[in-house]
Amino acid sequence: MPIQINTSVKGKEYAPYTVTVERGRIKDFARAIGDLNPFYLDDSVGAASEFGDVIAPPTFPITFKDDTADTGTMLKDLGVDIGRILHGEQEFELHRAITPGETLLCRPKITDIYEKSGKSGPMAFVVRETAVTDAKNELVATLRGVTVVRL
Amino acid sequence: MKYAKVYAEDVNVGDALPDLVKEPIRQIQLTRYAGASGDFNPIHQDDEFAKAAGMGGVFGHGMLTMGFVAQSVTDWAGAGRVRKIGVRFQGLVRLKDVITCKGRVLSKSSKDGTHLVDVELWAENQKGEKVVTGKATVSLPSRES
Repeated sequence: MPIQINTSVKGKEYAPYTVTVERGRIKDFARAIGDLNPFYLDDSVGAASEFGDVIAPPTFPITFKDDTADTGTMLKDLGVDIGRILHGEQEFELHRAITPGETLLCRPKITDIYEKSGKSGPMAFVVRETAVTDAKNELVATLRGVTVVRL
Repeated sequence: MKYAKVYAEDVNVGDALPDLVKEPIRQIQLTRYAGASGDFNPIHQDDEFAKAAGMGGVFGHGMLTMGFVAQSVTDWAGAGRVRKIGVRFQGLVRLKDVITCKGRVLSKSSKDGTHLVDVELWAENQKGEKVVTGKATVSLPSRES
C-alpha cells in the first residue's frame, strides 16, 4: 500500500528566518566539496578582488536552514519519513555574490505538490522555493528545490 | 590554466568546458559535507539505515554532486560569475564512484553591457552513466570594459 501524504501543505509559507553568513562555514563548505578556489578560501585574495572579501560558492545557500523551516519540518507537515525522500532537482538564481558577515532573510514556501508514477512506483514531488533578501530588502538569491517522496 | 580569467569574446557556442575529475567518493567526504551543509539525513551516513530504506546502501548527497558541477563552471568561468544553476538528479552516487563533470556552451548574448553565456552541464560516473544533468548561466567580463 502506498503511503498518503498531506497535500494540504501546498501553498504553505513558512515563517521567515534570518541567517548570518559565516566565514568559516563558507570555507568548510568549499573544502567539503573539494573546491579549493582561493576566492572562497583565501582572505587576502578575497580582499583584493572586486568582491572585497571571500565569497560563497554557488550552492552555498543550501546551508540557509532553520529549525522552524527545514526539511525535517516539511517532512513532518507532509507526514513522510526521511528514509523515503530523494532530491529530485535543485536550482539557484544568484543575483549577486554572498560575503561573510551578512545577515539575510529567508522566506520558504511550498509552491507545488504533484504525484506521478515512475519506474520505481508512485512518487510525490514537493516543490519548495526560498527567496533570500538582504538588509536593503533586495533579492540576493532564489532557491528552488524538488523533493521526491517514494510513496 | 586553472582560475584564468575568461572573457565573453573568447567563448563560442559549442565550446567544451574543461572536464573536472573528482577524487573517488569516500564516506569521510559525505560526513564532511553533512557537517558543512547541515544535511544529516542518515541515508548518506548509515549503511544499515540506507538498506532498511530500500536504497541498497549509503549514497552521496545530490547537493555534493551539484557542488562538483558548480565547481566545473567556476573553475572555467571564475568564482562569482554564476547567475543561475539548475540540475536534475538522475542517478545515485555510490562510495568509490569517480565523478567527472562536463559541460558545453549552448548560447551567448549581450545586453546593456552584460554578457551572458548559457552552458549545458552534466556529471557522469566511471561507467559513463549520467548522475546529474543541468544548465547554468554565467555573466562574463568583456575585454572592452
